[in-house]
Amino acid sequence: MLALLISTFFTVFLAELGDKTQLAIVSISGTTTRPGAVFAGSAFALVLASMVGAAAGGSLSSVVPTNALQLVASLGFLILGLRLILRSGDPGDSAADEQAGEP
Amino acid sequence: MTDPAPPAAGPPARDHQRTDHQSSEPPGTQQVGRSEAESADPATPGQGWLTVFLSTATTVFLAELGDKTQLAALLLSAESGRPLVVFLGASLALICSSLVGVLLGRWLSRLVPARQLERGAGLLMLALGLWLGRQAVLQLAPAAYPPA
Repeated sequence: MLALLISTFFTVFLAELGDKTQLAIVSISGTTTRPGAVFAGSAFALVLASMVGAAAGGSLSSVVPTNALQLVASLGFLILGLRLILRSGDPGDSAADEQAGEP
Repeated sequence: MTDPAPPAAGPPARDHQRTDHQSSEPPGTQQVGRSEAESADPATPGQGWLTVFLSTATTVFLAELGDKTQLAALLLSAESGRPLVVFLGASLALICSSLVGVLLGRWLSRLVPARQLERGAGLLMLALGLWLGRQAVLQLAPAAYPPA
């Protein structure tokens, strides 16, 4: 049982490293003042998504329109990205002057 | 930012002060964790905890859901044995990978000037969004013309 647990852990962990989701998490956490909320939100969403996947089994795409959902997600990425770029170009209201002072 | 840099132990006291200032408001309407006054504006960095949580969770959930067929297959393949153990291992791995992502982001924010990091992260998100959107459209398009 422990062997199965460990092998699953490493399979999924290695598969997720460098995945688009993790890149998004790095981006969000690097540019926010609330990394705790980012961690809680992403961990919650990942576990929830795998629960949905497990519940639906192999027929996930017949239960939820995954492609349409991914389209919505891509819009979310675009909006977040645009907002970050706009913010970085705005001299007065930088997020980040505050963060840059951190040790 | 007009806000003075808060000392690490500061937020609860500041929060209390602000509630005193806004005593005309009913106390129940204030969200937990919103210590900065600026959090009312969604574009400012001092967003509320719940706002950051929800926007992260929604983005990650939607982006991951399409990917989860792989995990579902993994779970099914273990169904004869112990699917719960597989689910537990997968969940732990996902939580660890998001922890790694968050720590990496914090580490980068100390190395790279914040404005530069914001621009880089923004470009990365745009690229991911375009890539993800292209994939979704490519997979949706054949569905519009089903094979006979």
